[in-house]
Amino acid sequence: MNLEHDLRRALRRESPAPGFANRVLERIERAPERNLMVQQPPRPVWWRAAAASATFALLLGGLATYKLVEYRRGVEAKEKVLAAMQIAGEKVRLAQQEVREIGSQH
Amino acid sequence: MRKFLFVFLLTLLTAMPAAAQKINLDFPELAERAEEEVEITLDASMLRMAGKFFSGHDADERAVRDMINGLSGIYVRSYQFGSDWEYDRNLFKRVKAQLGATWKPFVNVRSKTKDNVVIMADMRGDKITGLVIIASEPREFTIVNIDGPIDIERLSSLEGEFGIPHITKERDRD
Repeated sequence: MNLEHDLRRALRRESPAPGFANRVLERIERAPERNLMVQQPPRPVWWRAAAASATFALLLGGLATYKLVEYRRGVEAKEKVLAAMQIAGEKVRLAQQEVREIGSQH
Repeated sequence: MRKFLFVFLLTLLTAMPAAAQKINLDFPELAERAEEEVEITLDASMLRMAGKFFSGHDADERAVRDMINGLSGIYVRSYQFGSDWEYDRNLFKRVKAQLGATWKPFVNVRSKTKDNVVIMADMRGDKITGLVIIASEPREFTIVNIDGPIDIERLSSLEGEFGIPHITKERDRD
């Protein structure tokens, strides 16, 4: 019996405080921007595709620039290696030549 | 704290020999007097990068690639002067003084009036793990340091390849 009584008490209809409806309507009127944002139509698909393409193009451009810089550095390093080998080889040959000449004199 | 100090000292001690092996090839007084200067500094990363640009199909390029493979660095300083013996001839000694006990003279050509060439090799057992070439000519002073295992015969045989010109010096022997 207590349960039935408790349920009735909990589910009983209660009237809102006076002026409740007006307060709700006022709050809705006070936040027009928020309502507009919610009602804004979704951005078109082409806009997303353009953004994705631009990002992809930027990435490709960055990669191409990196590759070009690396290529130039590699070619420069190769030229330096050849120049260094030329100088080193030349001096070793100079030493060999000197040793041969000294040997032939004796 | 003690453990940290021990590890720090150990790291310092192991790093010291490597630092000690670094040879200073830069002599500002030479660069100031020289009419022409060639300075090439190629560390291990630059050599690795350069190695990728040598063709594996061409035998000559492959030879260079194999030669630089495993090297830790190539350093060249070459100075040309306007008149004879414009520089301190004792620079030989200053470079040699930096080399440790493992460095042995490979070739030593000395002359009071003409070219001097010293080739020093860092010998570890039977292997050459480094090379210093000091060539002192009346109007030119050149130091080359190759850090790493190198075959001298192959090095001298490279001249004349890849557009590297054969250099035949006119000798003015009496």
